[in-house]
Parts: sequence; C-alpha cells; structure tokens
Amino acid sequence: MFRFDVYIPRDLRDALEALRIYGEEMLPIGGGTDLLVLYRQGLVKFKTLLDLWPLRSNLSYVKLEGGLVRLGALTTVEELESSELLKDKRFAGLKDACRTFATTFIRSLATVGGNVGVAHPLSDIAITLLTYDASVRLRSLDGERVIPLKNFYLDKRKTVKKPEELITEVFFSEPPNNASSVFAKLDRRVGHGMGYVAVGVYAELDNRLVKEVRIAFDSIGRPFPERALRTEDSLRGKELSEDNINRAIYEVLPKEMSRINDYRASAEYRIYLSQVLLKRALLEVGRRIGGE
Amino acid sequence: MSKVGVSHASWDTYRDIEISFKVNGKEVKVKVKPYERLIDVLRNKLGLVSVKGGCGRGECGACVVIMNGKLIPTCLTLAVRADGSEVLTLEGIAPEGKLHAIQKALLDTYAMQCGFCFPGVIMTSKYLLDKNPNPSEDEIKEVLDGNLCRCGSYLRFVKAVKLASKYINEGKIFFDESEVMR
Ligand SMILES: Cc1cc2nc3c(=O)[nH]c(=O)nc-3n(C[C@H](O)[C@H](O)[C@H](O)COP(=O)(O)OP(=O)(O)OC[C@H]3O[C@@H](n4cnc5c(N)ncnc54)[C@H](O)[C@@H]3O)c2cc1C
Ligand code: FES
Ligand code: FES
Repeated sequence: MFRFDVYIPRDLRDALEALRIYGEEMLPIGGGTDLLVLYRQGLVKFKTLLDLWPLRSNLSYVKLEGGLVRLGALTTVEELESSELLKDKRFAGLKDACRTFATTFIRSLATVGGNVGVAHPLSDIAITLLTYDASVRLRSLDGERVIPLKNFYLDKRKTVKKPEELITEVFFSEPPNNASSVFAKLDRRVGHGMGYVAVGVYAELDNRLVKEVRIAFDSIGRPFPERALRTEDSLRGKELSEDNINRAIYEVLPKEMSRINDYRASAEYRIYLSQVLLKRALLEVGRRIGGE
Repeated sequence: MSKVGVSHASWDTYRDIEISFKVNGKEVKVKVKPYERLIDVLRNKLGLVSVKGGCGRGECGACVVIMNGKLIPTCLTLAVRADGSEVLTLEGIAPEGKLHAIQKALLDTYAMQCGFCFPGVIMTSKYLLDKNPNPSEDEIKEVLDGNLCRCGSYLRFVKAVKLASKYINEGKIFFDESEVMR
C-alpha cells in the first residue's frame, strides 16, 4: 500500500533541483498530515516524496521585522501558537486558529505552508491569513514569485503554484494598534477539526467606526477559502453596531454566498451557520479591539 | 544532487536507508524503506508493540509517541524522519519493574477497559505532565481530546491525570510493579 521513494534534500537549492529533475512525479511533504492521509485513500499519486523537514532549520520562523509579519513555510501550528508574536492581541485570530486546530499531535506536524498548500476549504490558518491579506512567497530555480493569497487558489486542491516551486514563506503587513482578529468554526466534534463552517474576521476600528474589515470563509461558493468582499464593503466606514452587523449578515452575505449540500450538512444550514458565526466573530473582534 | 530514484517496478526494489536514533534511551541503527512509517519500524523492526495502529490517518491518537519532546502520530510520520532523533514510547517511560505515576493513576482509577487506547493516552498524559505538572481540568481535556477511547473511559482519564499530577508533585514518579499489581 505505502510504496514510494523519498528524497532528503541537503538544503533549499538541493530541494529545488530535485523538483526540477523529478517534475510531477515528485511531491513535497511538509507535516504530511494532509498528503499521507490522501495517499492512503488513493486520492493522490506520486513516485517520490521530497522531504521538506530538513529545511526547517531555515524555514521555520515567526518574525516581525521592517513592518512585515513573516511566517516560514515549515513553521508548525504548534510553533506558531507558542510564538511571542501571538501574545499580541492584533494576532488573536491566528491564536484562535492554532488553538482550535485538530489535536496536539497533529499541531506538532502540520505546517503553515502545508495549510496554504492544501487548497482545501477547511484550512484554518489559510482562512485567517486571508483576513490579513497575506501573500505567498514561492521559490524555484528560476527565482522568486510573490502571489497574494487571495489569488493563490484555482480550485479544490489546485493552486497557481507550479510543480517545481516551493512555498517558502507567507507574509503580511504589520497591523496597526487598533486592529485585531477572530477565527471561529463550528463542528460536531472538537479535536477532529474539519468544521462545517469556518470564518475569519480582521478589523481596524476608530472608536466604533470600521476603518477596515476583512472577512474570509472556508468557502463562499468555490471550493477553497475566499473573502466575502461585498459583506466587507457593506460594513466599511460604518459603526460596528448590532444593526449594521445584522444588515450585513442577513441582507448582504446570502447574496454573495452559495453553499454545498453533503452528508454533513445542508446548504441552507451552512448559510445559517455562516451568518451566526460571522455575527459572533464581528462582535468579538469589537470586544478585542476595545480591550475587553 | 545525487539521484535517488530506483526502479518502481516492484516494491522490494526500493532501497534501504540506514537511520540511527535513540529509542527509550538506547541507540539503535536500523534499515528502513523510504515508504515506511515510524509506526511500522517501531512495531515490526524494533518490537515496540505498545505503539498501536488505530485509524492510520491521524484521527485516533493510538499511535502517538514523544519525539524530540513533541507528541507525534507515528502513522503520519515517515520513518526516515526519526534519523538522529530521540523517541520515547510507552516501553521507555519507567525503569524495568517500575510503573510511571500515570500508569499507577490509571490503575487506581480503574480507567482501563479493553486498554487499546492506553499507550496513546499514557504518552499524551506524560507529554502534558512533563510540560505542566499541575494541569487544570480544562488543560487535561484539551490535550487528551485527540485520544479516542471506544470504551469511553474519558472521565476516568481526567481523574487519572489529576491523580498522577498529585503523585508527581509528592515526588512519587515511579512505583514498584509489586506495589501496584496485587
Ligand atoms: C486528524 C486531522 C485533523 C485536522 N484538522 C485540521 C484543522 O482543524 N484545521 C485545518 O486547517 N486542517 C486540519 N487538518 C488538515 C491538515 O492537518 C492541514 O491542512 C495542515 O496544515 C497541512 O499541513 P502539512 O504540513 O501537514 O501538509 P502536507 O500534508 O505535508 O502537504 C499538504 C500539501 O501541500 C503541499 N506542500 C506542503 N508544504 C509545502 C511547501 N512548503 N511548498 C510547496 N508545497 C507544499 C504538499 O505537496 C501537499 O500537496 C487535519 C488533518 C488531520 C489528519
Ligand atoms: S493510528 Fe495514528 S492517529 Fe490513529
Ligand atoms: S479502554 Fe478500550 S479503547 Fe480505551
């Protein structure tokens, strides 16, 4: 059943050379918490894995420098959660996403780069990073590309990343002091982690006025995390009041969101959950910025 | 770059990779296949059968061990990643003839039913107690929430970890087997 070769690179350059030589027969493996599960289910094929773990000495970091927050692709969810940076209330949503992420033993393997790389709706870190308007840094032997995360996904399990490219980093601008964020999801079983609905909210408030707001869901129609741009627009410049929130979630959100029916929940129920979660998240982000 | 690919015609043509690591305090050298998972190597090549295969996909916690101080699922870890590491399994948490406080506490609270989940529960509890000898009830539940127990001993696990925490704080980390198994 498990039959493949593995290449253990010496460094990033060696890894990129391997990808170039092996082409689509080789897949990079971060924590493997998605890839090995898919492989076991027969949903992904490769002949050789490129083990990214040796690159952790250079690609596992959480930094704030020069006005940029930079997360190394091989930073584990556990490392992100326990980083100094996440003690700051401006990153509270990332803290939520880490704390509710799977279980202790998955968090010790799952990586930030892998969470972005899976291109699956239920990617908690990626949903939260979308609310920070993060960008993905890609490296190949040809050099570097930077792609805004919001343009990174093409379809379920499809991204603009080429097979010979590696994700090396995700980064975003340092938020101002009047900013904070929330991540929330609903599921049947805590610790399993794959929710029915997940939302991330980032906001900057001036007194109660919404200076900036960014809202991302696990899906608003297409099968990957995306921002709810019209709902954001309806809140920008307004007071973060219960009335305005209700208008956004009841009148605007359903117009831009379509949801799937499956064995876990109906589309109607998913939209309802999205509304409830978004309302909670918006109220919470207001409380967090207010220092409550 | 050295080219590592070999013929993929049949599985036994895959090369052996020699890895060396420390298991339960002992240095071992073992040949592994590139596709082998750590659980395969620990169980089949090193005889450490406390490591249980449950779901094989990171969902049940039966296969967890402590590697370099981190709790990891061995069903989702390539064996080659153990190279140069330090691994602790249930077999290594107490000296020969002794039981660790968490084992004693699980017996004291009559938590065991079939016991299949126990190695995972014990390693998870040990991981928690190593980091925090005085965990709150919420912290215990949070860390143990990945360990499935089909027999439903969850509430007793919480009791047991609290009791183990008490033992450890009293300086009682190891117990004689004879003291426990009357
Ligand atoms: C029990 C369980 C619970 C889970 N719960 C959650 C949860 O609560 N929330 C959540 O969001 N997810 C969850 N997941 C999914 C998974 O853990 C995450 O998506 C995780 O972040 C994937 O990271 P990884 O490093 O393990 O990725 P991998 O499995 O190693 O890789 C995933 C994909 O990304 C590619 N890739 C990885 N790293 C790179 C890189 N640096 N450059 C280029 N490509 C790369 C791989 O080739 C692969 O296609 C869960 C999984 C399991 C098994
Ligand atoms: S067998 Fe590894 S988590 Fe279930
Ligand atoms: S005691 Fe039987 S599975 Fe836990």
